[in-house]
Amino acid sequence: MTTATMDNKGIQMPILLVAGIGFLITAGLVMFNLSSQGHAAFNTSNNGLFWGFPIVVYDFFLLTSTGIAMVACFGFLFTGETFRPLFARSLWLALAGLSGGVAVLMMELGYPLRAMFLIPFSFAFSSPLYWKVLAVIGFTVCLLLLIWRARATQSTLDSLRGLTRLTLLFAILVTALAGVVYGSQSFRPFWASGDIPAAFIVESVVGGLAFVYFFTLLAYGFQANRVPESIRTVFAGRMGGVFAWAIVLHLVFVVGRTVNGLYGNVEGLQAWQYIVSSPLYWIELAALMTALVIMFSHALRCNILIQVAAAVLVMVGLFIGRYEYIIGGQIIPLFKGSWAPPVLSYAPSFTEWLLLVMAIFLANVVNSLGGVLGITRGR
Amino acid sequence: MAKWGMVIDLDTCTGCQACTTACAMENSRLPGENWQDVLFYHEGKYPNVQLKWLPRPCMHCENPSCVSVCPTRATYKDPEGGFVLIDWNRCIGCKYCQVACPYGVRFYTDEKAVVQPDIRTVFPSEEGRQWDPPWKGPQDDPRRGIGIQPHGVVSKCTFCYHKVSQAPTGVPDLDEDIPELKEYVPACVRVCAPKARFFGDLDHPESRVNKLIADHRGTRLKDETGNKPQVYYLSGGASAAVPSLRAVHQDKA
Repeated sequence: MTTATMDNKGIQMPILLVAGIGFLITAGLVMFNLSSQGHAAFNTSNNGLFWGFPIVVYDFFLLTSTGIAMVACFGFLFTGETFRPLFARSLWLALAGLSGGVAVLMMELGYPLRAMFLIPFSFAFSSPLYWKVLAVIGFTVCLLLLIWRARATQSTLDSLRGLTRLTLLFAILVTALAGVVYGSQSFRPFWASGDIPAAFIVESVVGGLAFVYFFTLLAYGFQANRVPESIRTVFAGRMGGVFAWAIVLHLVFVVGRTVNGLYGNVEGLQAWQYIVSSPLYWIELAALMTALVIMFSHALRCNILIQVAAAVLVMVGLFIGRYEYIIGGQIIPLFKGSWAPPVLSYAPSFTEWLLLVMAIFLANVVNSLGGVLGITRGR
Repeated sequence: MAKWGMVIDLDTCTGCQACTTACAMENSRLPGENWQDVLFYHEGKYPNVQLKWLPRPCMHCENPSCVSVCPTRATYKDPEGGFVLIDWNRCIGCKYCQVACPYGVRFYTDEKAVVQPDIRTVFPSEEGRQWDPPWKGPQDDPRRGIGIQPHGVVSKCTFCYHKVSQAPTGVPDLDEDIPELKEYVPACVRVCAPKARFFGDLDHPESRVNKLIADHRGTRLKDETGNKPQVYYLSGGASAAVPSLRAVHQDKA
């Protein structure tokens, strides 16, 4: 093990313990609430808001996972051994994010176990969800294989190139299909658009970069003197530039959608009026813009703590954006009347918030376990 | 092979909700979770306000988007009769069909009760169903989404499949005024006091529903979606065929 790949094991064990205890408590509370109240513990309803906060959390974690995998695979394929210190850690982090997202989905579905064996064998070719599930299965298998192969001491870029490409392909496929799930709903103009898969891919990469920054630096206790020089060089160098330009692209999609939505007179686009009148939207923009300024400034992005701040700002901004997108597509009811107001009101319930906390804890359990077991060290 | 369809005359409908009540009784629906409902809404501002209403069952579309999106093929188009049904044994409760239905006629009833007190706690079921009402009907066919809704699945109007599917082959219309056919008529049609609803075979050249659609320019709700509903509305201009869907900003409402 070189200095560059040396891990700070000391911090992973406390994280594992805290996250483990946190996960047990939150998962226990969620299970208790769901077993005693069923899905009445959620604030979704038949009035039109069918997919609520649990889907927001699930999608956020899933797209973060594919984004991290895309960053890892792109980084490794295009920069080779330069990215090596981050490769194994990023792949494992992608798996951690995926586990958090899937756990939340299992809590949201009416019949999660039935879904696991019925979807793959239903051959429902017309359903975007069917293809998405197949892609997620392929992505998970590739990710596991790549993690296993990358750990081998004799593994080289050449020996991993094929599998890395395949993992990258599946990561892009999952993300694009997640976009198709929403983008194909032609009568929901807030969602429907051919560019949604592309927007999801960009958003996913931005999230992936933020998480790679944050969790890599977390592994070194956010202490600059502990972070190996090779990682500092990558973070302050080309990767920082890529991060900045990815944020720019994401902002183009966000602002473009907003402007188009505010101009539009089609039923459903009125949601944009509510979104821009909410402080959340401006917090999202401010967070992304601040991160953008940080990452564009070479002087600022050399500082480890400022890198962490930028990553956190992006995480917060993206989460708000995901919430606005999924809820915004449903808050204008398709049929209004005495039973449904012009705009539906929705706020996550306590149990729905718990699901977010549970997913964060679970992802941290898996991620820190990788650190403790030495999986994230790579070669 | 019949292609069953419904015609609703909006000029005749009085919005009495007898159809909603009959449907709820026939299909053991939870209060407020109405497969068939009459939506009331108003248009305009005082002093030019109009109260309007729109009866809305499942449209049993020819090209249903709910069927296309279902990842387990739980919801399907029945080739014999054109019903859109749900196999509760295959439904996973992902609610994608609810999201994809332009008409809002699908129901996932595990959430908070629409009407309080929660009647599910008054008549709890011990068989995994939403509730155990004392007046439930005998029909129970989970593979077609008929009976009391189980937990964790989505449900919808079946066009009273359990009745209509038993009708003699080749009849053009199922009319409650024909004594030998009245048992096969969907509950909402049978109880309609002003006779605003008609049910028949859209593929039968002699059916009354076809004549009504042709003679009175029957329209379909949200036809622009391409779903091609098998429910048609008649409107001579006295009432809107389709409610105004333009949302009003809350500040301006």
